[in-house]
Amino acid sequence: MTEPTFDAIFDDLIDVNEELQSFLRILDGLLPEASLLLVSEAGVLLDGSRSLAFAQPLREKLVQEARAADGFVVGKTENNVRCHAVYLAKLSAVLIISCAAAPDDAWGPGSALATLLQNTIDLAMHRQEREMLVADHEQSVRQINILQQQHGKLIEDNYRQYRLNQDREKEYARKLESEIAKQTAELREANVRLEEISRLKSDFLANMSHELRTPMNAIIGFSELLSETPLAEDQLDYTRTIAQSAASLLSLINDILDLAKIEAGKLELEHLPFDLAEVIGNVAAMFKIPAREKGVVFTCKIDSNVPKRNMGDSNRLRQVLINLVGNAMKFTEQGGIDIEVAYEREAAGRIVSRFSVRDSGIGIPADRVGAIFEKFTQADGSTTRKYGGTGLGLAICLQLVELMGGRLAVESEVGKGSTFYFVIPLEEAPAEIISLQEHKVIGRDKAAHGGRILLVEDNAVNQRLASILITREGYEVEVASDGAEALEHLRHQPFDLVLMDVQMPNMDGMEATRRIRKIEADPAQKQSYVGLRALTQPLGIVGLTAHARKEDETACYEAGMNGFLTKPIVKAKLSMILSERMPQVSCKETEDPS
Amino acid sequence: MPSAKDLLRKFTELKTLPHVAIKVTQMVNDDRSTMQDFEEIIKLDPVLVTRLLRLVNSPYFGLSQKVESISKAVVFAGMKQLRNLVAVEALRGMFKGDDVDFSAQKLWLHSATVAILAGMIAKRIFGKDGEDVFLAGIIHDIGLIVENQLVPEKLREACKAFREGKGTLIECERNAIGTDHAEVGYLLTKEWGMPQEVLSAIKSHHQGKQVKSVSSASSILLLAEFMAGKMQYWPIVGPIEGLPPELTAHVKERVADYKIIIRDLPDEMAKAKELYESDE
Repeated sequence: MTEPTFDAIFDDLIDVNEELQSFLRILDGLLPEASLLLVSEAGVLLDGSRSLAFAQPLREKLVQEARAADGFVVGKTENNVRCHAVYLAKLSAVLIISCAAAPDDAWGPGSALATLLQNTIDLAMHRQEREMLVADHEQSVRQINILQQQHGKLIEDNYRQYRLNQDREKEYARKLESEIAKQTAELREANVRLEEISRLKSDFLANMSHELRTPMNAIIGFSELLSETPLAEDQLDYTRTIAQSAASLLSLINDILDLAKIEAGKLELEHLPFDLAEVIGNVAAMFKIPAREKGVVFTCKIDSNVPKRNMGDSNRLRQVLINLVGNAMKFTEQGGIDIEVAYEREAAGRIVSRFSVRDSGIGIPADRVGAIFEKFTQADGSTTRKYGGTGLGLAICLQLVELMGGRLAVESEVGKGSTFYFVIPLEEAPAEIISLQEHKVIGRDKAAHGGRILLVEDNAVNQRLASILITREGYEVEVASDGAEALEHLRHQPFDLVLMDVQMPNMDGMEATRRIRKIEADPAQKQSYVGLRALTQPLGIVGLTAHARKEDETACYEAGMNGFLTKPIVKAKLSMILSERMPQVSCKETEDPS
Repeated sequence: MPSAKDLLRKFTELKTLPHVAIKVTQMVNDDRSTMQDFEEIIKLDPVLVTRLLRLVNSPYFGLSQKVESISKAVVFAGMKQLRNLVAVEALRGMFKGDDVDFSAQKLWLHSATVAILAGMIAKRIFGKDGEDVFLAGIIHDIGLIVENQLVPEKLREACKAFREGKGTLIECERNAIGTDHAEVGYLLTKEWGMPQEVLSAIKSHHQGKQVKSVSSASSILLLAEFMAGKMQYWPIVGPIEGLPPELTAHVKERVADYKIIIRDLPDEMAKAKELYESDE
């Protein structure tokens, strides 16, 4: 396609002579003295403001001459006025000019007049071109203005964008904040729920332990009694097996309960004076026989710098040591097991001591050391099959040692043995407490038997077991199956001591105890109770409960009891508490019925 | 006879402006849209990304550093230029096909010429932002594409009648089809959410009698349409409608300006080709 031209496009609307006319206008203005005539290529005549009169033939001749010539040619107008013609190639037109002021001889080629005229014509033509240049320039200016506007708008846009983004960020931050707040609230709620669940779980465990301990009470008690009856060899063997299994089941139940208590943060250590050597001695005594049977040398050593009597929870310390020594015993076939208590340093008035249990057993692979402290885990699965155990022991020990302010650790080498150790601060017990304890211990030994005991217990099996145990200790026993019945008994008979089960239907042990104490405090009522009116001191009431928790014990004392015994009833403990609590009747020996 | 709306309903089912183009058009009209929003849309279309980067890196922008990120390119191009880029890209694919009576390819060349001329007139003569009239130019004959897709026989019938001098193209279309491409184009672009000025220009690009203002988008489109027609950038053979007197007078007044525009058009077309033309 050829490049389009303005004329081709706007042919309909454009006067072809427009350009010539504008040229003529400009030239007219430049030459105010001259008369002008422009003849276009098509022969169209264009007059200046002062016209020139021509006869057609004359004019045509002149035009032809001018087209052929280079420069000006001379001619005459109608009125015989001299004129000059020149061909303007750029406009394809002939210009005829007449100027009265100019002499004829001044038109020759190269003459000043001719040059001046030529320059004037050029000027007029340039003026016309200049119009285009101006238009071009103006277009450029407009375009530059647009670009400037666009630039300004771009900046404005960007600023607006910046503000928008800021707003969005703020909005986002706000949303984030509220989202976090919402989630925090949800988590808090979930936490509360979990704590509630955890509390329910430990309650459940406590209840379960009660439910489990009650039949265990019967099994242990009766197998103990059964083994004391005349039995054939194999019967005796069976009975012992029952007793042993029951004992290990009870210890497992205790372990689970301990763990539950620790996890619920409910295990509290006692803070009572104890004899360290006695604790170690007890542990040693337990393992002396099995060690001898296995052919393992068992030794104990206590540093003399470690205080003899200390404050703390001797039962828990013993539990940890029994566990560690039990493990050592289980995994050691030859060599020796040592318990050692060593003085480490003194800090803040405490003697920091290191307890270690060393064995020459199978050892623990390095990669399993971490795992053995986990619940229900042993060094590897085969260990469980070969050596048994629940894998709870070390987990409990770990926690107990932590409660005592130390850390349980192990150094071990496979095939050479292991050393479990922990370092805890020991607090030396004050002297006066020691003497009291000793006094009591001495007093107990001298106690004589005799007296009436009221057993309040709802479970028939336990009624029988406890009755038998009490009778064997040399006391008379009366049985009531709940609190209300117990009050009835007290109304009619005197008793030296009440063994009161805590959990019972109708009226539980706590309520019964509170009522008894109330009656004792009211002289009028007290008179109508045979079992109470003669007493100068409050009646001794010992609580019996399968709940071994500290708070259960506290609750018993708060209700007004002055003793506490956990079930299953262990003969030794019962006998101790009875001799402590019962009035001492000298020189009265009771026949042992068995 | 189907109405323009009937045609459109069918056309929308058949083919529609790509999602990207519609989305970008809407975002340009929305003050709350940000460059990031544009970036999110543009980056889904690799062809657009290439073209956009080529656009901002062209001498036209004269940037001293090469722009390689979409977000920067969006910022430099500006929203309207971006919208036009997207529109060209989206429409190009619709202008396909070529035969004696109606050539969609020639129509595309016509549309591009009208768009460029319109942009030049707006900027150079009226000192206005040329992006909207450019869009109007590129899209003003979309109605013909719709008719070509849905009633090709009737469109050819109208073209033939027009060629034989049986009336204006609009009249011939109305006789043969029952509607005309200006109406169809107007309704379609309205659906696409084009700016009001663009819509009225499309609607009136064959109605020379209703010139209200010489500098309006409609007038500019009429002028550009007339000039492109005279330059033979017109796919339908037949008499070219004359300019309304207001516009003739305007051209007479600004002869020098129009001469320059016509002089510079080939350069501008080459530039546009570089920016918008496909690589196919």
